[in-house]
Amino acid sequence: VRSFPVPLALFLSRSPSLSFTRAPSLPLSLSPDKDIIYICPFSGALKGKVFITNYRLYFKSADADPAVTLDVPLGAIGRVEKMGGASSRGENSYGLDITCKDMRNLRFALKQEGHSRRDIFDILFKYAFPLSHGLLLFAYLSQEKFEENGWSVYKPMEEFRRQGLPNDKWRVTFINANYELCDTYPTILVVPFKATEEDLRKVCTFRSRGRIPATGGGYEGDDAYQNAELVFLDIHNIHVMRESLKKLKDIVYPNVEESHWLSSLESTHWLEHIKLVISGAIQVADKISGGNSVVVHCSDGWDRTAQLTSLAMLMLDSHYRTLRGFQVLLEKEWIGFGHKFANRIGHGDKNHADQDRSPIFVQFIDCVWQMTKQFPTAFEFNERLLVTILDHLFSCRFGTFLFNCERELRSKTVSLWSLVNSDLSFYQNPFYTPESNRVLYPVASMRHLELWVTYYIRWNPRIRQQQQSPVEQRYIELLALRDEYLKKLEELQLSDSSPNSSHLSNSSTPNAASPTQHITHLHTPF
Amino acid sequence: RFSLKPKCHREIVVNEVSFVRKCIGADSSHGDLWGKLICTNFKVSFITHDALPMQRFQVANRLLGEHDVPLACVEQVVTVNDAKGKQKVLCSNQKLKFNPTELILYCKDFRIIRFRFDEAGPQSAKKVCLAIAHYSQPADPQLLFGFEYVGKQYYGSLAINSIPTRVNGVDPGGGLQMPLFDRPSEWDREIKRTGAAEWRVCSINEGYVVSPSLPEYFVVPVSLADQDLKQYLCFFTAHRIPLWCWNHPNGSALVRMASISDPLQQRKLDQRICSAITKSHPQRSDVLKSDLDKNLPNIQDIQAAFVKVRQICVIEPFEESEEKWLSSMESSRWLEYVRAFLKHSAEVVYLLEGKHVSVILQEEEDRDLSCVVSSLVQLMLDPHFRSLTGFQSLVQKEWVMAGHRFLDRCNHLKKNDKEESPLFQLFLDCVWQIINQYPAAFEFTEMYLTVLSDSMWIPVFSTFLFNCPQQRTENSMDFAKSKCIPVGGEKALRFPPVWDWSQQFTPKDQALFNNPMYVGKGATCVQNGAVKSFRRTKKNYSSTLRGMPSSLRNILMDGHDSLTLTRRNSLVSRLKPDFSQIREVVESPTERFFRDWVSRPADLQGMLIPQLLPSHLALWRLYFLRWVPEASIPKGGPVTAYHKLSQLADEVEKLQSQLRQYKGATPASTKTSTPSAPPSDHSRMYFKAGSTHASSSTPEYLSSSFPFSPVGNMCRRSILGTPLSKFLNGAKIWLSTETLANEAL
Repeated sequence: VRSFPVPLALFLSRSPSLSFTRAPSLPLSLSPDKDIIYICPFSGALKGKVFITNYRLYFKSADADPAVTLDVPLGAIGRVEKMGGASSRGENSYGLDITCKDMRNLRFALKQEGHSRRDIFDILFKYAFPLSHGLLLFAYLSQEKFEENGWSVYKPMEEFRRQGLPNDKWRVTFINANYELCDTYPTILVVPFKATEEDLRKVCTFRSRGRIPATGGGYEGDDAYQNAELVFLDIHNIHVMRESLKKLKDIVYPNVEESHWLSSLESTHWLEHIKLVISGAIQVADKISGGNSVVVHCSDGWDRTAQLTSLAMLMLDSHYRTLRGFQVLLEKEWIGFGHKFANRIGHGDKNHADQDRSPIFVQFIDCVWQMTKQFPTAFEFNERLLVTILDHLFSCRFGTFLFNCERELRSKTVSLWSLVNSDLSFYQNPFYTPESNRVLYPVASMRHLELWVTYYIRWNPRIRQQQQSPVEQRYIELLALRDEYLKKLEELQLSDSSPNSSHLSNSSTPNAASPTQHITHLHTPF
Repeated sequence: RFSLKPKCHREIVVNEVSFVRKCIGADSSHGDLWGKLICTNFKVSFITHDALPMQRFQVANRLLGEHDVPLACVEQVVTVNDAKGKQKVLCSNQKLKFNPTELILYCKDFRIIRFRFDEAGPQSAKKVCLAIAHYSQPADPQLLFGFEYVGKQYYGSLAINSIPTRVNGVDPGGGLQMPLFDRPSEWDREIKRTGAAEWRVCSINEGYVVSPSLPEYFVVPVSLADQDLKQYLCFFTAHRIPLWCWNHPNGSALVRMASISDPLQQRKLDQRICSAITKSHPQRSDVLKSDLDKNLPNIQDIQAAFVKVRQICVIEPFEESEEKWLSSMESSRWLEYVRAFLKHSAEVVYLLEGKHVSVILQEEEDRDLSCVVSSLVQLMLDPHFRSLTGFQSLVQKEWVMAGHRFLDRCNHLKKNDKEESPLFQLFLDCVWQIINQYPAAFEFTEMYLTVLSDSMWIPVFSTFLFNCPQQRTENSMDFAKSKCIPVGGEKALRFPPVWDWSQQFTPKDQALFNNPMYVGKGATCVQNGAVKSFRRTKKNYSSTLRGMPSSLRNILMDGHDSLTLTRRNSLVSRLKPDFSQIREVVESPTERFFRDWVSRPADLQGMLIPQLLPSHLALWRLYFLRWVPEASIPKGGPVTAYHKLSQLADEVEKLQSQLRQYKGATPASTKTSTPSAPPSDHSRMYFKAGSTHASSSTPEYLSSSFPFSPVGNMCRRSILGTPLSKFLNGAKIWLSTETLANEAL
């Protein structure tokens, strides 16, 4: 079945427990005589049926061939509005206008009789914005079960130990065990050895919201910032980033701006912001690898700070480029240190114009994607992981990105890493070549930065939807081919080992890539 | 102490100067190399015993040393005297009033190379500069080095008969296994291969008697007799009657032709040609004409775009051009033109494949734009041309034989700048865009395309030296006569085609051309876990095309009436979407066709249509940015994935050959035994499977510029503290004025 625009099911379908039928739902299906029309910006008005559960909106066209489907998690909906009056026609006909957080908009037209628009609007409005209606986010209702518990991915003490902490310069403190020192900081902190608990308490009184300096990747400045070199990175604030992404959406959805594409793209400044963030992170990483400590801060320490520390850590520490290491990085630098996901995304909140919303995390993931493009063999995870993370940044299906800080209770929800780690191979980059101790400096230049079209322009049906990059796909095919041949060779060699058949013993000169070597090597996993 | 290496036969040293410093870094003399600068009749050579810092060149050209620049690759020669604050662009036969302290060579392949003469003899330095300027602008094509180069095989060889001649497209020297389309049998084979039953080889131009720019042999509809053709000749521009390019398995033909010069004959002739083409179609389908001149940028537009894109990529200071990079790229219009050609070709593909009609590409002279479009259409429709030899035969057929003016477009003689235009480069960029989108569909790599482009500036290959085959013959004969070269019964000197890659590279280095991902005919791959072998039988190729899906049949009926010949030249304007309307979702049949195709899984052995949205076209970074040090990603870039793919493909190949040996030795399988496996050192892959884990990690020398290196190849110079770009406004990058005395002071 062809589906377009590509539904979220592309990724969702990997998890059988949340299949359409089994998801806890409050189904609302319109009776067939009350047609709904999806005004598809690509193929025009399409008659069909819409289903709404407390998790998603699903539309399937009735007469288009192949059928057009939509599958939108309610969490991805940012705004629902009624449009059109009794007499309006065409694009503005009587119906609903839905603005999504994931770079698309949806329009539905409805018949005026029978209050069908009111019914749908009410249900959508209530379940897309549960927090505004005294309801729980879907993540609390989902009873999904996975093989692995994603909440145990990040164990602070283990991670500190991996970095050789504590040591004679840094010590572990439990001063924030009950979030008394700072409610947006983790419970376990590493602080300079010489800073006493009393010092920390004093510092908290004048730092914004009690956020004392703490270690990210094991770096920190002098207590008094003596001899500090101040570097301003010129990265703009969250409002600028929000407007920038909005402009980007305007030029890619529904149609890609054709006549002046590059200058339009430039005028969104999206890539320029990406460049500034990456080059800021390079400066941080460069200082650290040069033996200096760095204090990274922005006004509150949870937006640009998180971007810069986590990107610098990706550059410096190859562990964070692994599938699990990347999860630890996000847990530590974003979730642990209190990036305000709830406010920045506005989960379940009807107030779409909230000035606190900003795509800071999207921007960060974009920066990571740019790095993976420049170093195709340096990351253990693939593009699919990054898209999945962004999909569930909005979906409200998992607890991972729901909250403003670690303190808020997540235990009643399921972690996104439960989904990911139950099917790791799906997110693996086949080209990954582990190189520990390698520092990775991307080139922060417009010559190399490119628009992430497979994320930002994925709803366009004129674009081939590829589950996987063709290069990755071919590599995996070749791997399978190699295994197949090895198996055959092994069989032949076994049947050969009888004394009668000695014709091949040394006919080929299996050099370095000796099959026997590989057979042993390859068969261990099985 | 210093000797010219490699030195070609008949290469003569013209002038040389010692104690020259080659600049390596842009702003400091750190790492500069000392050596001797030599101008020969072939190249500018720099001989040094110093090793380049932080550098390990991976690929050596057999004709050129590490620091060499062929004279044909020199775009502009600039001499500078620091003390006097003077600079002069040198042309042929000019005088230079000052002793140069510096020489800057701007190259056609985007390199900028700088030499300093601080310690060199001033007179010798001056002489070398003048010699370079003079020899890089030959007054006559026969002064191009290729003539001396090719003449070598005749000198001293009295027994001309002992030189073996080419048989059936196989060159005994290079072992070339591809058609060059200079003999009827090769056209016959192409007719058979494409099933073009109603087409025949025509030889009325044998000896170039009817048209100097047409090949001696070409293909025409069976229903047109030689007599008819001779009658029509004079009505076509330059006597270029319609040439058959290719047949779609559904019977539709792709034809190219020049415009009809006599307006009175226009209608009648159009009808005759079209009815002949219709008769050659098994379903007697219509013929549509696509006017390329009306719908595509002209050669001057393309040249202007290329000059601008070069300006942005290599001339302008890196940091300053960052801010406006995207809009500057847009204003160069290069990518816009790449897109226009791809789009136009895709529309022709739709007509041939989706509407089953024959298409005539019409261009005033049929020697420029139609080369690009006809080859792109064939690349999109026929997987044969996506193999290495297929691609080469395509260029041979649609460019070399069709009479693309390589000599003029490359401006080898630097005579007429108005004729210079990078059409072939544009074509290669278009091909790169398709490769970029379908990386497993082509047998060759972007490195191959880049090296092919660079070969345009090595003037020894028949491919790029002439405006048409007739010119090659004529020049050969003149040259042979003047040099008393015995050519025996041959029509022309045997210039090597660029396709004889052994002229330039070792077999090991040629392995860089091979795409480890290629899923070609007969290539093995895994689908749904099962190992399969792609073997496209003739039947299944045609059946996909003959068995027309119902949706297409409808489209065929829908737009049928309005798309016939009666509306001449209206084809493309009709198909071009009008964006004021498209907002309200009016999808043209072409768009609908593309969208349908995109919704199905891509068959790499079938039709391939590139994604045409501007957001999906990219800058060909390897080509445009390979010399820019700031843009180089150490141990990064697509080549790092290529490295891993090659190693794996190599391992698979080795296993395959081991398996083959088993099978060959088993008596039961003798019937199906395959030819003996190639020796293991004959791997197709440049990067071989390694023994240890360490060898699979990315080698230190890999960078996004690989196999090229920015070191010493990109010395943008600030003139007395002023960025060079400030001096260099206007369409031509470099000033051709006399001096820039004291401008910056």
